Amino acid sequence: MTERESGNRYVIPALVLLTFVTIYPVSYVLYLSLYRRLLIFDISRFIGLDNYLFLFSDDRFWNALKNTVYFTSLSVSLELLFGLCVAVLLNRPFRFRGWIRAVVLIPWAIPTVVSARMWEWIYNTDFGILNYLIGSKINWLGSPFWALNAAVFMDVWKTTPFVAILLMAGLQVIPKDICQAARVDGAGGLAIFRRITLPLLKPVILVVLIFRTLDAFRVFDAIYVLTGGGPANTTETLSIYAYKVLFQTLQFGYGSTLSVVVFLCTGGISIFYIRLLSRGIKRTLHD
Amino acid sequence: MISAVHRVLIPVLLLSLFFSGACTRPEKDKERPAVIVFKHGKIAGDPQQFRQIIERFESENPGIKVKDETLPASTDEQHQFYVINLEGRSSDFDVFSMDVIWVPEFARAGWLRDLSHLLQAGEGKDFFQGPMQAVTYRDKIYAIPWYIDAGLLYYRKDLLEKHGFRPPETWQELIRIAQHISERERGVYGFIWQGKQYEGLVCNVLEYIWGNGGDILEDGRSVINTPENVEALKFMRDLIVEYEVTPPLVATAIEEPTRHIFGTGRAVFMRNWPYAWNIFEREGSPVRGKVGVSALPAFPGKDSASTLGGWQLGINRYTRNPEAAEKLIAFLTSPEIQKQLALTIGYKPTRKSLYHDPYLVREQPFIVNLYDIFMKARPRPVSPYYMMISQVMQPEFSAALSGIKTSEEALSSAHRQIEFILQVEQ
Repeated sequence: MTERESGNRYVIPALVLLTFVTIYPVSYVLYLSLYRRLLIFDISRFIGLDNYLFLFSDDRFWNALKNTVYFTSLSVSLELLFGLCVAVLLNRPFRFRGWIRAVVLIPWAIPTVVSARMWEWIYNTDFGILNYLIGSKINWLGSPFWALNAAVFMDVWKTTPFVAILLMAGLQVIPKDICQAARVDGAGGLAIFRRITLPLLKPVILVVLIFRTLDAFRVFDAIYVLTGGGPANTTETLSIYAYKVLFQTLQFGYGSTLSVVVFLCTGGISIFYIRLLSRGIKRTLHD
Repeated sequence: MISAVHRVLIPVLLLSLFFSGACTRPEKDKERPAVIVFKHGKIAGDPQQFRQIIERFESENPGIKVKDETLPASTDEQHQFYVINLEGRSSDFDVFSMDVIWVPEFARAGWLRDLSHLLQAGEGKDFFQGPMQAVTYRDKIYAIPWYIDAGLLYYRKDLLEKHGFRPPETWQELIRIAQHISERERGVYGFIWQGKQYEGLVCNVLEYIWGNGGDILEDGRSVINTPENVEALKFMRDLIVEYEVTPPLVATAIEEPTRHIFGTGRAVFMRNWPYAWNIFEREGSPVRGKVGVSALPAFPGKDSASTLGGWQLGINRYTRNPEAAEKLIAFLTSPEIQKQLALTIGYKPTRKSLYHDPYLVREQPFIVNLYDIFMKARPRPVSPYYMMISQVMQPEFSAALSGIKTSEEALSSAHRQIEFILQVEQ
């Protein structure tokens, strides 16, 4: 037996595991999405692409997709913006820096369901601290306009620390001497940030974006606990829609179709970012 | 390579065989008392009073012990619990209480024992027709109605008298009275109901749809997007924006918040279930003695309609003690116990004869006065697919009420989705 062959043998357990936990479920969902299947009534009928055809005319699906895209783009861009500010601030030397860094991480450390319950009370119309502080009577989670934005705000609060920590790690590997050299050449703080820090941080920013976009696109727990998808489905995202179809009404066929769409979307997003990332890295190497 | 895979697989398969064998239950000891588990939602009133009824059953039936277990208050969570456990063939509970809308679904799925033989010939006629319709699936009875509910109109007797009005019989009268009084009384809303995206919203909307001559299903097809239904849904939105008798807060309100607003004297009219009455009549209640109850108003030239609620008792198909479980159901739905439940915790009997019982007439005149409303109360569409259809209707109704969609758009979108669900049967 050659060394290569024996090497292959060692990979088998990993392959078997991957087949069981990813390839098999994904193909099973694809297979289910071609069926009309109601488990509880023992109904299972092959209907080809009918589920997908209905999907195109399903207002509720388009509404969920719109909500998901809105939630993802707004929350990820705000998190990146705030996370960058926090990272730059925490990267400067000051007293108690270690403590502050730890404290900033607290929102990220709280389980999502717990913080969603907490925000539910903060947003409460009658007893919530938010209305008390700004002296208003806004029904944050009940109004079609505010509900999704309230969910975005909670997500930003919760995930900004995560973005900040990743970006801080990126900032720390930027060599100090480049900045010093720029300063000797007469560059100001802003110019250094734009011309040196940002370009060198780009790979880390892309990694952050991949993580956050994929997470935000599949958002479930935060919104489910906060609003359950209401009012009038203005906060229903694709994952919540799929969950309701799959587990509240047990329509396995159509629910799988929705899951396949979520899968295709996240797949597309990953490919887009990975291309961007590999191009970014190549350019950095060329420079 | 194949042998390597086999080397792993065979022991795994053997192990799983071993464990599946080990799981089978040893033969039941005949000497021990049969324990039956009774699952239900929260029981109203003092838990001690319900416990006493259970204890009475145990003393009348030596050899049977009853363990009663309470599920979360939300009916949707209860439904999910039963679906998951029954689909998994759980035998952890024997008798359970079901919302009026679940029975056809559970019967269709084969999770309920046929209870037709529990009712003697003609006994079914003693029960109200609405609940009987709801527990009957393909000519068989799968659950026994336990207590009944229906949508009612609560009004403030004192305010109506003060301004010289009689209780309204049509919606137009209600609007006129509500506008008149809420303009003159400070901080009093006109008419409140339940408009949040949940099952209660469907109950509310159906009362307007039926009251306007419409329906949701006909011969197993969706008829939700008819002009009558559009008109009915639009009327509910108009109560908020056009007539301004309903505050926008109903769009997020369920039963309790509206009961609270009415109970602190801040509304002239309220649509709610009968349970609110006892709370209004409690000592210290600001509206004690000032509340009147009637059937909901009607549209001109049409009949008023009220949505049926209430709970039914059924037996888990996978129970190991069907005889004991049947005894418990027969006991809990017997005239005597229904009467006792009405007297102690205010559950409304499902047997019509009790409404002529002299003792009950004297002690609980309020319950007895609801007889005519219960007689006419209509069950929500009796279909195994009701829960799926309701999941479709809830957001669409909610969107129409909050003005995100027009009533036409909401109902035609609901129509498409309901048709897609019903296609399963074709």
